[in-house]
Amino acid sequence: MKKIEEIQLPEELRYSPDHEWVRPEGDLARVGLTDYAQDQLGDIVYVELPAVGIHIAQGAVFATVESVKSVSECFMPLAGEIAAVNGPLSDDPVLLNQSPYGDGWMVMVKPDDPAAVSQLLTAEAYLARLKGGV
Amino acid sequence: MGELLKTVLHDEHVSLGAAMVYFGGWHMPLQYRTGIVEEHLATRKGAGLFDVSHMGRFIVRGSGALAFLQHVLSNNAAALDAGFAQYTMIPNDHGGALDDAYLYRFTPDEYLLVVNAANREADCRHLFDMLAIFPEAQMEDVSESMAMISLQGPSSRAILQELIGSGGLPEPIKNAIRSASIRGKKVLISRTGYTGEPLGFEFFFAAADAPWLWDLFLEKGAIPVGLGARDTLRLEAGLPLFGHELGKDPAGQEIPIFACPLARFAVSLSPLKGNFVGRGALSVQFAALKKLQDEDYSSSEDLPRRIVPFALCGKGIARAGFRVFKGSEEIGFVTSGTMVPYWKTAGTGLSTRFTGEREMRAIGMMLVDSRIRRDDPVEIEIRGNRVDAVAVPYHLRSDAPPYAMPILQRPAEDREKSLSGAWQEKTFDLLEKAIQNTLWRQTECINLIPSEQTVSPMVRRLTMMDPAFRYAEHRSLRSYYDAEIFYYQGTDFIDRVEVLLKEEMTRYLSCREVEVRVMSGQMANAVVFSGLVDYLNRGDRKTEPRRIRSVLNNHIIRGGHLSAQPMGALYNFVRFDPQTEKPAVVNFPVLQENLYKIDVEATCRIIDESRPELIIFGKSMVLHREPVREIRDFLREQKIEAVILYDMAHVLGLVGPYFQEPFAEGADLVTGSTHKTFFGTQRGIVAGNWREEEKQYALWESVENRTFPGSVSNHHLGTLLGLLMAAYEMNCFRDAYQQAIIRNAKAFARALRDAGLQVAGDPAISFTETHQVIVKVEYARAVEAARRLEESNIICNYQAAPDEEGFTAAGALRLGVQEMTRFGMGPEDFRRLAQYIHDVVAGGRSVREEVTAFRKRFLTMRYCFAEDMFTDLMKKLHRLI
Repeated sequence: MKKIEEIQLPEELRYSPDHEWVRPEGDLARVGLTDYAQDQLGDIVYVELPAVGIHIAQGAVFATVESVKSVSECFMPLAGEIAAVNGPLSDDPVLLNQSPYGDGWMVMVKPDDPAAVSQLLTAEAYLARLKGGV
Repeated sequence: MGELLKTVLHDEHVSLGAAMVYFGGWHMPLQYRTGIVEEHLATRKGAGLFDVSHMGRFIVRGSGALAFLQHVLSNNAAALDAGFAQYTMIPNDHGGALDDAYLYRFTPDEYLLVVNAANREADCRHLFDMLAIFPEAQMEDVSESMAMISLQGPSSRAILQELIGSGGLPEPIKNAIRSASIRGKKVLISRTGYTGEPLGFEFFFAAADAPWLWDLFLEKGAIPVGLGARDTLRLEAGLPLFGHELGKDPAGQEIPIFACPLARFAVSLSPLKGNFVGRGALSVQFAALKKLQDEDYSSSEDLPRRIVPFALCGKGIARAGFRVFKGSEEIGFVTSGTMVPYWKTAGTGLSTRFTGEREMRAIGMMLVDSRIRRDDPVEIEIRGNRVDAVAVPYHLRSDAPPYAMPILQRPAEDREKSLSGAWQEKTFDLLEKAIQNTLWRQTECINLIPSEQTVSPMVRRLTMMDPAFRYAEHRSLRSYYDAEIFYYQGTDFIDRVEVLLKEEMTRYLSCREVEVRVMSGQMANAVVFSGLVDYLNRGDRKTEPRRIRSVLNNHIIRGGHLSAQPMGALYNFVRFDPQTEKPAVVNFPVLQENLYKIDVEATCRIIDESRPELIIFGKSMVLHREPVREIRDFLREQKIEAVILYDMAHVLGLVGPYFQEPFAEGADLVTGSTHKTFFGTQRGIVAGNWREEEKQYALWESVENRTFPGSVSNHHLGTLLGLLMAAYEMNCFRDAYQQAIIRNAKAFARALRDAGLQVAGDPAISFTETHQVIVKVEYARAVEAARRLEESNIICNYQAAPDEEGFTAAGALRLGVQEMTRFGMGPEDFRRLAQYIHDVVAGGRSVREEVTAFRKRFLTMRYCFAEDMFTDLMKKLHRLI
């Protein structure tokens, strides 16, 4: 497993305490799992994504990610409607391990409140929480 | 829970970057840097290394050790020979498992019991409590002083072979164990494991040596594997995990031991075990299980649910605890389940290979209603959704060493379609292919399969004559002074043929009696075994006949043929030994320095101990004479009564002064097939040498009776006629032929060695005393070598050497000179052939064209009567076909 200093945390992203990242893209926001989360889970072998068009509240479960050993739920970092999901991830869940911020993204959300993104953690704040042993 | 326990390898795991977890009170590696999937796949393709020192280890010794183990364990410890291990349960009174365990017997007086880490303390308390009833037994917890690691996977054998010192590898049999040394340090090694790998070893040794041995295996290329992949590997192999498939279910209900498929191997209800813990409950479960197999559910309340492997067909992963449904009915729950990786395969049969691509599959085991059978569809509830799954017999098979092969749910394969065209087209095709095949084998190939022979043109034509279409059943009748009475008319000629054939064969074998109606060597053996049972029971015809009490034979891995094995023709005729709960067969010990040769001294000791009623000499991988005279002398000296049968299938054509004379040396009976070193046709014989006034003549009569009407009615008279001519040929040419065979085989063996190939056997006698030569290629590569030789028109067979695990792991080729000797090849020609074989096997070169041209020099059969002496008759015969 990676040491804390080996964890990749791109500066331009925002993070949730539940280990999701968010990248605003126009009206939408792209959501995925952080490098730290994928590393902790180990080999990801199954990803269950939500249906496009449904509305999910902040903090509600929007996806399930399974590794060989465990099942983990992913919590919505900001409320909104699912605009798109990363289809290839279902067939190739290992993308989530290989490229958590790239090809391993999970969903695109149309946020209810675009400004809510700014309330999420910065890379620095998220790292501080990791070091604090969350 | 007390303080966190660490194995002696703890620091090794940390320095390898393992993610450490708590397991059963221990701080253990869950996975190393590459992760569970890589570790799993590396074990299946290379070798995985496991620290299993956290498991509990107890030594049991003392005069009461066996009685104690019989009482507290479910398996029959009395059946465990020194040098073997057995899977067992530690049952409770209700027929549930307190634990599952492995019992190892490295020496005659000491047992090692290995139990699960999480149960170590509880087991320890239970076993020490029980020990109070067995004052003559002692138990010592050696979990700390003795470490344990496991090396599993197809490369494990090569890694170990490179390091092993005195003692050598355990016998190539599952659960075989041996004390050996690695780089001078003493290590106990067993062929056991928890991965389903056909090649895998566990090591027991002084705890202080653990880091050294661990690093040594890593240095040789083993990949460290943590608890995560240990679990996926065992799940794929269908092996139970205590707390999931054994013990108590999540609702606190006892899982009956017989719910677990492996219980059949782990539980013995032998009377020798007396009233052991749980016996009553286990007997009830076993009775229910037997009924379930007949789809009789009248006792299903005694075994309402069973552990069944399943494959998930829909999306998702079924985890432990998920509910299982059949229609609307909830029938059980998942006990273990996850997604496991596997190597994809391509090709079919022996050409199956890993492609290098990997895939994942969701599999598991479930505890479900006993009515569920293989291939039954079920549904598993995954987060509120019902997902399709199917009950499967297994996920992985270990019977093609060196690899464990993944078994997937897949549609029935497409067989090659037969021609759908008109009859004319089909007929044309068949005729053409038969011609092509015959021309290829007879004029283009060098045929080296030691069990085959081409017959002479004369024999071939005779085989096609009218008797091929007739019946000639007959038996002797006492009323007519034992005259042979035929049931049909028109049989005078074939009657005469049979009489003449018996005369020729008794002359050939120097014996008094020959039965020629058996149609194969295998049938010849079956007739003898059946005859012996008949003979043993001749005093009492009113009760169930008893079987042969004990048999001594050649083990199949030492070259013994299946026709002399309990799984072959012995099946119905040998007793089950109540102690071992296996057929009462012991094997000839072999010389440590020459695994192809029987150790006479050790054999005498075994005969003295096991008192076999039947001793069977003879092998299908045979380089040496069998010590018939030595064993006969020993039996005579010791006044031990045993029937000596020499199955001469391979060497029937070598009977005589250049090989061996079975009856002169003391054999009672000889069986054989007539088409290997003998001149064909494809049949069998049984021969005996008792006089009518001898007591054992009754055995000969039983053999005849078990031939007809016991085994044959009509017995293929065309080949009988052909065989008579072949017997004329043999009796006329035997001296020259037999000498040529031995000369050629020795020259061939030397030439193969000189060409740079590794030839098995003793170089001091030019490796062989028979028609066979064994060439060692590379471990598990002989299948491919034999295929490449076939592409070069050299036909032989791949063969597992005596130290290899099975035919798919074969590393040797078996070559016979008999057929090509008959076509006139001499020592010089075999030297040339040796070079061709070397070029293909070692050089990777095709020599098809050279071999085809080479064969053209050897098209005329020798050691048979010249056709020009009988030109007119041969023409007439030919026209009659």
